[in-house]
Amino acid sequence: MATSRVRKRNFQQVSRPVNVVLNMAAMLVSIVCVFPFLFVVIISFTDEMVLARNGYKIVPEAWSLDAYRYIFKTGESLLRAYGVTIFITVVGTLISLVFNTLYAYAISRRSFAYRKFFSFFAVFTMLFNGGMVPTYIVVTQLLHLQDSIGALIWPMAVNAFFILIMRTFFVTMIPDAVIESGKIDGAGEFQTLFRLVLPLALPGLATIGLFSALAYWNDWFNALLYIENPKLVPLQSMLMRIESSMQFLMQNASNSSISTTILTEMPQETSRMAMVVLATGPIVLAYPFFQRYFVQGLTVGAVKE
Amino acid sequence: MLSRSFKRFRQNKMLLLMVLPAAIWFVLFSYLPMAGSVIAFVEYRYDSNGFLSSIWNSKWVGLRNFEFLFQTSDALIITRNTVLYNLAFIVLGLVLAVALAVLLVEIRNRRMSKTYQTAMFMPYFLSWVIVGYFVFSFLSTSKGLLNQLTSWFGLDALNWYAEPKYWPFILVFIYLWKFVGYNSIMYLAAIMGIDGSLYEAAMIDGAGKWKQIVHITLPQLTSLMTILTLLAVGRIFYADFGLFYQVPRDSGLLYSTTNVIDTYVYRGLKTSGEFGMSTAAGLYQSFVGFVLVITSNYIVRKINKDNALF
Amino acid sequence: MFKNKRMLAVGLTAMLGGTLALSGCSSNNNANNASNQPAPAEESSNANAPAAETKNEPVELIWYTIGTPQKDTDKVMAEVSKYTADKIGVTVKMTQLDWGDYSDKMKVLTASGTPMDILFTSSWAFDYVQNARKGAFLAIDDLLKSEGQGIQGVLDPAFLEGSKVEGHNYGIPANKELPALEVWRFNKTLVDKHGLDTSNVFSLESLEPLLKTIKEQEPDVVPFALNKDYMPVVPYDYLISNLPMAVKLDTTVYKVVNILDTPEMKQALKTMRAYYKAGYVSPEAATITSLDDVQKAGKWFIDRAATTPFADNQWSASLGYPVVSTPASESVVFNWSVMGSMQAISANSKHPEEAMKFLNLVNTDPVLRNMIDSGIEGTHYKMAGDNRMENLPDSKNYDMPTFSLGNVMLTFLNPGDPDNKWDEYKSFNGAGKPAPTLGFNFDASSVTNELAAIQNVKGEFWAALMTGTVDPDEYLPKAIEKFNAAGLDKIIAEAQKQLDAWRASK
Repeated sequence: MATSRVRKRNFQQVSRPVNVVLNMAAMLVSIVCVFPFLFVVIISFTDEMVLARNGYKIVPEAWSLDAYRYIFKTGESLLRAYGVTIFITVVGTLISLVFNTLYAYAISRRSFAYRKFFSFFAVFTMLFNGGMVPTYIVVTQLLHLQDSIGALIWPMAVNAFFILIMRTFFVTMIPDAVIESGKIDGAGEFQTLFRLVLPLALPGLATIGLFSALAYWNDWFNALLYIENPKLVPLQSMLMRIESSMQFLMQNASNSSISTTILTEMPQETSRMAMVVLATGPIVLAYPFFQRYFVQGLTVGAVKE
Repeated sequence: MLSRSFKRFRQNKMLLLMVLPAAIWFVLFSYLPMAGSVIAFVEYRYDSNGFLSSIWNSKWVGLRNFEFLFQTSDALIITRNTVLYNLAFIVLGLVLAVALAVLLVEIRNRRMSKTYQTAMFMPYFLSWVIVGYFVFSFLSTSKGLLNQLTSWFGLDALNWYAEPKYWPFILVFIYLWKFVGYNSIMYLAAIMGIDGSLYEAAMIDGAGKWKQIVHITLPQLTSLMTILTLLAVGRIFYADFGLFYQVPRDSGLLYSTTNVIDTYVYRGLKTSGEFGMSTAAGLYQSFVGFVLVITSNYIVRKINKDNALF
Repeated sequence: MFKNKRMLAVGLTAMLGGTLALSGCSSNNNANNASNQPAPAEESSNANAPAAETKNEPVELIWYTIGTPQKDTDKVMAEVSKYTADKIGVTVKMTQLDWGDYSDKMKVLTASGTPMDILFTSSWAFDYVQNARKGAFLAIDDLLKSEGQGIQGVLDPAFLEGSKVEGHNYGIPANKELPALEVWRFNKTLVDKHGLDTSNVFSLESLEPLLKTIKEQEPDVVPFALNKDYMPVVPYDYLISNLPMAVKLDTTVYKVVNILDTPEMKQALKTMRAYYKAGYVSPEAATITSLDDVQKAGKWFIDRAATTPFADNQWSASLGYPVVSTPASESVVFNWSVMGSMQAISANSKHPEEAMKFLNLVNTDPVLRNMIDSGIEGTHYKMAGDNRMENLPDSKNYDMPTFSLGNVMLTFLNPGDPDNKWDEYKSFNGAGKPAPTLGFNFDASSVTNELAAIQNVKGEFWAALMTGTVDPDEYLPKAIEKFNAAGLDKIIAEAQKQLDAWRASK
């Protein structure tokens, strides 16, 4: 079975010339996408003065680590911030996978009597939102989450968009026969889901897992709203704070009090780029982990038939 | 009657249990705060006894907070811009994301394919502020790369930030550049999930690669395409603030093609910071999206029940 | 219809309220039972709960202020609290919110009724006038008389007069530079190199020969560095900063006009256009937000800034090369310059008297003021003379923006500061002439829609006109027309009405 599968996949491949064309197209797009990122890395290691004088150059006249030094100095607890971010990303992604998948699976089931209601219930939250202040009040005064790690996790635990994507995956990828077979075996709903359905839906899980990991990793807004304890500030929020304060002071440089009392020695542009490097480096490296499942799904799916 | 609905409830007990955690979340984090939308109808003033008392004691102004969205000649421009940009994003975004996903699947070398995929994902990580800097370094009049290029060809340097006619293309390009990689992941995953036996059967029938894509891959993706499009339609009155504010650097001369509802509201309320008016703007955007989604969902339902949102 | 909506509002509010009440928080939100019911179990652990207080225990004040959060804030506040508990029976908990976050976060905190006692406000961050009108702050007229005599003693009367909103004081301005004095700043290296004379410079037009020399001889340098926020100095008093409603500085009739329609502004825009065309101004001026890069590289010749005594020294120190300046405007006390830095008492403060006592002490007691400003003696700083201090290495853990925290004239001098620093400040403040609308603050609540519309018109034309990027002959009429279509007329009429009423009441 396995060998025949491999042979068949070879048959399926595109011809060599077409493959070359496809590769070239993909390469072109990739370069356009990666180039600015490369530039970000280069600028982050450029000397601020040289940058101010010459503008962006692929090979700058002088290199420097000042930007990183500045960030490590200003954001003393950079490592701790990494820790917080990693923690909320891992825990948050797991929680969000469980919540979203359960909901999505239920509303994907044709036999679920309240299917339409709960679908609408989710979609409606994508169209209307209560705004910042009411949400803040619920989170702080009803749930008392302020200044706790929960404030960084719970507000993003469920996402109607992910639910709907996952539902689509369930509907299109899981043949009814699989669920029927579960019923015949006498398996309960949960057993059917975990034993039979989820292994088939791995690409879907990987997708929403990746998306919610990214959302947690990149989130700075919840921390801005809910966190005052410096020990609980995640990375993106810390960097965003440094960045927006730099910008604020620059823009108010004509204010006499600010221009004469806040002595600015900030390597503004280079440290902005260094922040991008610090903030995205780890998650870009984690990306292949999710990528694995895009392929695995296919194989598992094939074996299952 | 009562016993029937109770029976129905019992039969669905397990599935209801699955829905429960997220449903509670929706109530707490979405539906409860939604009640706060009532701010849109008052002139919100603080009261020392907290939020509820503030709403209660604020002056009821009816629809006055909505007026600023329709009052001037700008109303037409911002609505037109928002809708047209979103339409371009929806259509081009869909086509390119699907095309890219298909392309990545078909490339023979897995390792290369994965590398491309990672590369195309990178722009998603750059914030609009950073993107704005790059666009500026590219288009700036004095030091910009593009003007250096055109000067080689003996053309005059162009002040890009004063020429509104180019910006629809620039903004659409940048949007696609940033998000197509992200969106194509969903389609890629969906293609991976397509039942392999369908392709086998097609090959036995002698269908070539192109035919397989047209007759198997794309039809299998319609469900996802429809859902994502429906959701995008629901947000057609919302614009990505960063794209339309940071990237054109808030250049006034470009407003005719870059001012959208979100930037208009931001600028309008920057100094007065009226909560009532910003809430009103959001409510208006949501309401239009809601009507459009209900309508288009109704149409989709008529055609294929499975592809509808609800 | 109207009635139904009201019902809807009641329903929604009740829904939100019901759930909040269920969680046991209602005592925070409901005035009627907050004071006379015992705090629920959940709150009794909270040190702030009024029920837990007895007469002898000090009251804890919650203080929100602007600035990068410092590592040692809690440590210093513990010392501060010891001192203030002794003196006036209060302790202090300070929370700092970073520069860029302050306005946004405070907006949410005040709108949601988060408990706090003292908070920073100003004309440039968490806008004082707007928030006073919205009810974020407590009117302190009476408290000032009863608990804040000290403050009245140290502040120039213009501070309290200019920060009145609807005739009431809502915050205590920090005693610092009072008037706004615009100056032309020169890159001294270039001035010396070309032997230029800056002493006769005052008006925008008088810059021309200098700019011309630099343009011709220093092709790499931006002769006139300006960004999108630049506005030529014209002798007018803006009712809302950077919006076109203005009153002439030397007015006797107090007529509100559209600044774009004044001969002074027209002339200035024409000059700016000429400068732009001559290449004195960077072609990107209308789109850049900061001059950081040209200034870091020293590739500029003239720019404009607001000054304070000894500002040249500080600018030179922070840029790393010498900068000199000459006046570009009269010295005028505007509403916004008075409101450069203030501390207000929150409208929901449970301890307004104590808060005022504390603010009074901060503004009059050098020991407390310097502790808050520089930290703990021996840890963060050491004395280096009678009224002079020197930072110790640990001062990096407690580096506060002095001007934001109250009376700066009580603070110790830093190494390098001249002995007569504060005397200079006093004479600087004495030289400022009051602006015609000092103490008048426009209430825009009846024209919020028009205001939103003209903000967008402003965005469309302002920077391009002010920097000379576009030809005023063509764009000025267009801008004026669009401003009027957006309702500027109506705003001006409303402002005129309020201004007349204000004058009549004086």
